[in-house]
Amino acid sequence: MSAGLESMISAAPWPQRTALRVLLALDRRPRGAMLLASVPLAEQAASSMLALGRYDDPDVGRALGWDARAVVARGRALRRAEGRP
Amino acid sequence: MRSLDADVCVVGAGAGGAVVAAELAEGGARVVLLEQGAYHDPDGFTASPPEMLAHLYRDGGQSVTLGAPPIALPLGRGIGGTTLVNSGTCFRTPPRVLERWAREFGLQLDEASLRPCFERVERALSVREVTPELAGENAAVARRGAERLGWSHGYLKRNARGCVGSGVCAFGCPTSAKQHTGITYIPRAAAASAEIVTGADVHNVLVERGSARGVRARLAGGDALEVRARDVVLACGTIHTPLLLERSGLRDSSGQRGRNLALHPATAGFALMDETVDMARGVPQSFYIDEFADEGVMLEGVAGPPAYAAMALPLTGERHARAMARYRRLAQFGLMVSDASRGRVRSIAGRPIIRYDLCPEDMSRFRIGLARMEELFRAAGAREVYLPLPEGARPHSARARDLKLMAFHPLGTARADARATHGVTDGDLAVHGVPGLHLADGSVVPSALGVNPQMTIMALATRLAFSLLGQAVPASNPSPAPPTDQRPTKEKEIACRS
Repeated sequence: MSAGLESMISAAPWPQRTALRVLLALDRRPRGAMLLASVPLAEQAASSMLALGRYDDPDVGRALGWDARAVVARGRALRRAEGRP
Repeated sequence: MRSLDADVCVVGAGAGGAVVAAELAEGGARVVLLEQGAYHDPDGFTASPPEMLAHLYRDGGQSVTLGAPPIALPLGRGIGGTTLVNSGTCFRTPPRVLERWAREFGLQLDEASLRPCFERVERALSVREVTPELAGENAAVARRGAERLGWSHGYLKRNARGCVGSGVCAFGCPTSAKQHTGITYIPRAAAASAEIVTGADVHNVLVERGSARGVRARLAGGDALEVRARDVVLACGTIHTPLLLERSGLRDSSGQRGRNLALHPATAGFALMDETVDMARGVPQSFYIDEFADEGVMLEGVAGPPAYAAMALPLTGERHARAMARYRRLAQFGLMVSDASRGRVRSIAGRPIIRYDLCPEDMSRFRIGLARMEELFRAAGAREVYLPLPEGARPHSARARDLKLMAFHPLGTARADARATHGVTDGDLAVHGVPGLHLADGSVVPSALGVNPQMTIMALATRLAFSLLGQAVPASNPSPAPPTDQRPTKEKEIACRS
């Protein structure tokens, strides 16, 4: 699990945090994934979370035309150059 | 225990609280502003959705309603509140909504009386219309569809200055272009000597002989803080303000506290286009289609970087991977319902429990909206359309449990009504039956607006501030926001805690 996703799950209230961890653990196992597939809402929640983590990887983002580091660097440079807060 | 004295104690530094604090402080009042969250330094913004959800949002952005269907309700936390993480869309309160408020709630808030408030807020926030160039290709797709269908549409007005279309409004603007209250009103409040305390968790309002006389809070370090004030303004947001009123042991003669929750439930669809869209290049929410606004359906732009799109894309497995491989050609657009459904907020074991069920009328609005969204994408030339429905489901037969909903505009849990038997506050946002206590956030908004609410909340907060100063809202320009960093100082915070 990516550090970003882990920090997001850790920030959730305990019921959501527990539920998400269970869902993600299930999704990683073949029988668990089959079980999840029978509960569409749960499957969607698990796959959304996993996708959030997977596509947050800088290399994956760059391959899709999105460079978060460049966006942030440009923002910082603009703030400094223009004296923005 | 630390103690502070003020003319006015304001709780919450978001859309309502920051405005009230700045206007009062500049008007000469001694103001203490307490904020539960932190000051977020833009140097810490990473444009990573999960990191920023963890950092800038309450509960990691995972607040959720209970009901059919469950609805994700992400809320900002910290200096700026949700204005730090919203899309920056600025609408004045629609006239038809003001007319309804007068008719149903006895509120004397017409366009003419609110105009100076809106004008003042718009100047303070540098509100202007997004240009087509800045809006980007995602908006161009929606515009092409709307023009071919002959639907009413336009570019949105936003509170932004020097925006370069970073595409991450919801995850902390890295250029500080978005003029959220943390970089507009809060620096003004600080410059006018307001005492700003972050990490202050307010437990209750102090009430003496029936009147509000301050608040008690716990600071992040564990110290207790008591603020004594002539007036108290609560602006903790629609979910938390009614709970603070309840914790304070205040009588609720209307029976409406915590009820009447409207959310503007929303969802979003995707389309695969022939051209490169690069949805995260440009302003994510820059374009609207209001053709169906009278039916309670508003279509508004939405977009984000791959991680965000991957989370929202309503596909699983191989289909999800195939669509994401073509992320650069994906367009996205949102749909928001002006809801008739009403929910309720309660506290269980100190945590807010939000109950909200979608009523048949709103379900019907979603069916209409989803069908229109598909029509829009097809008219724009979409190769494939991915609606937020299970595989095989069609808009006309969608059920509540099929929908994947989010909401960003909680309103109404301490609604204003001229009658004490029907509302928590009066038309001047004074809590009925508790002199000296006022509310200034979305909780007072008595009905769904059908449009993004930040301007309504800020205009009402402006009106309240000048009412507390005993002055009319001036038509002249407010003092401009200081261009340099005037964040609340650590020294001030530490002095308060020590």
